[in-house]
Amino acid sequence: MSLCDLKPGQCGYIQSISGNKKLVKRLLALGCIEGTPVKVKLYAPLGDPIIINIRGFDLAIRKKDAMNIQLREA
Amino acid sequence: MITVALLGNPNVGKTTLFNYLTGSNQYVGNWPGVTIEKKEGYIGDRVKIVDLPGIYALDTFSNEEKISKEFLEKGNVDVIVNIVDASSLNRNLYLTLQLKQFKKPIILVLNMMDVAKAKGIKIDFEKLAKKLGVTVVPISASKGIGIENVKKLLESGNFFRPTNENDYHYIDDERENYRFIEEVLSEVIVKESVESTTITEKIDSIVLNRFLAYPLFLLILYLIFMFTFNWVGQPLSDAMDEYIISGIVNLLENLLQNSSPWFSSLIIDGIVGGVGSVIVFLPVVMTLFLGITFLEDSGYMARAAFIMDKIMRKIGLSGKAFIPFIIGFGCSVPAIMSARTLESEKDRKLTALLVPLMSCNARLPVYALFAAIFFPGNESTVTFSLYILGVAIAIIIGLLFKNTIFRKDEEPFIIELPEYKIPELRNLMINTCEKGKGFLKKAGTIIFAMSVMVWLLSNFNFNGFTDMENSFLANFGSTIASVFKPMGYGTWQSAVALLTGLMAKEVVVSTMGVVYGLDLYNILSQQFTPLAAYSFLVFVLLYTPCISVIATMRKEFGNRMMAFSVFYQLLLAWIVSFVVYNVGSFIIG
Repeated sequence: MSLCDLKPGQCGYIQSISGNKKLVKRLLALGCIEGTPVKVKLYAPLGDPIIINIRGFDLAIRKKDAMNIQLREA
Repeated sequence: MITVALLGNPNVGKTTLFNYLTGSNQYVGNWPGVTIEKKEGYIGDRVKIVDLPGIYALDTFSNEEKISKEFLEKGNVDVIVNIVDASSLNRNLYLTLQLKQFKKPIILVLNMMDVAKAKGIKIDFEKLAKKLGVTVVPISASKGIGIENVKKLLESGNFFRPTNENDYHYIDDERENYRFIEEVLSEVIVKESVESTTITEKIDSIVLNRFLAYPLFLLILYLIFMFTFNWVGQPLSDAMDEYIISGIVNLLENLLQNSSPWFSSLIIDGIVGGVGSVIVFLPVVMTLFLGITFLEDSGYMARAAFIMDKIMRKIGLSGKAFIPFIIGFGCSVPAIMSARTLESEKDRKLTALLVPLMSCNARLPVYALFAAIFFPGNESTVTFSLYILGVAIAIIIGLLFKNTIFRKDEEPFIIELPEYKIPELRNLMINTCEKGKGFLKKAGTIIFAMSVMVWLLSNFNFNGFTDMENSFLANFGSTIASVFKPMGYGTWQSAVALLTGLMAKEVVVSTMGVVYGLDLYNILSQQFTPLAAYSFLVFVLLYTPCISVIATMRKEFGNRMMAFSVFYQLLLAWIVSFVVYNVGSFIIG
């Protein structure tokens, strides 16, 4: 299951991040570490990108990139 | 003199602190090779502060990070001031840990203490300082609280200087670092849980609402546009043009009464005319930046980028780039300058190249003149079609550039949506004035030189001072006129009009006024067919806008980008104008 599968309002825990080296590095630096809780807040009016909340702040991220964030079942 | 490096995440009040510390004693430039602002400021004559770009980490491959890292390594930094959001320490301290690798003393400025307090967060400063091996200073920059303490600390040099290797606890691993941060924070922070819907969430539920988001966005853009071009900026510019510039012209005319005509023409037509036509942009540039800084500081800009991202991505840009395009309908100069706020170098360049294709205010007089003569009754349709054509060409060129010269892999789009806040007047003012100063200084110099050159070319030939018809410019005009023949307007007059139009697009009209004389309407209607007139307008729409844009391009991106933008637009204008004329002729038969 990836971050993309969550609906607005749902939460999950990060399991791993894959894909583009730059993306992985950035997300890790922002604290997307294994076990961190993450919540999908809302989708953009056109469905993409999405807003997630992690460690108390909001991030906008494209679905294409969010797909690389794997979650474990909460 | 000690050198201080000021670092911190975006949106933590770094600029506010910098402005408070240095006041107006600051200097804005560019870091070599990139379009990232370099700001330096001074406290007295003993402390120099370098404001580094807002970053989250030092190793995630952005130019901002590269610059910061290089400066920390080679800039003879004596102390690092790391400003963090006290209400969001968890993420903020990650950068702090990374800063330890440079083995410099660190002053950790805990900003937004008021916000943290409101969130029920209590911090044990002494313990935090000890655990991290730094000096801790709590402040609330937006209220001006605690700033004096930072100042005093820097001036006295009385901060904690680590002595042994253990004080430089640094691990090159995200997981370890976050584990360490969590461990430290669990000991120094007490949080009384006051979780409820925040104001930011409430605003977002309206501003990002599926149905309201775009109407609100358009409304905000409309307001900024009106503020700049109708209510404040443009009227101020016009007043400046009418009273100040013409006042100077009158004064000079009196003063130069007895000097030789060529000299007074050089001063009045050449220098004052040329430089003046650019300086009148100043109020427009400043009001526009006031509006943009307001959006930026309030937190709305990130939301605008968020809702526009999907659309802008189609031409290889991210959501934030939409703003410069809208501004481009007013004037390309501030539009190109506002591209500075974009995240990646690629976005900034691509935006700056496409923005001039948006039809700016200055092109309107040309459309108006030609439409009135050749398309009476259909003026607005003709004008509107040109605006649409500009947008369409921008999309096509965007796609083309995206798939050719800018074919780097798409940057991952991750932006923080900061909490909304009311922008501080002080910050708005300082920022706006800086933009104005930069515009005057840099654009002024090149425009001065170009104005003198154009004046020389249009008033001289090998025999000396002459009228325009026999000048170098007219000669040159007839030489290049053949270039425009395939589009139906191969006269030296239109060539010269287009050439002088490089000074400012309105000049196309005034030049025609000069070279054709008073009977402009009748002569023009004989010189052009309606199709040739339209094809001429297409050329006016698409070719290199004006000398101010060229100067801005050079200032922001350097000589190569400037040259590229000039030539690609000339080529583009020629091709499209050619196609319009020839396909049109074919259809009309």
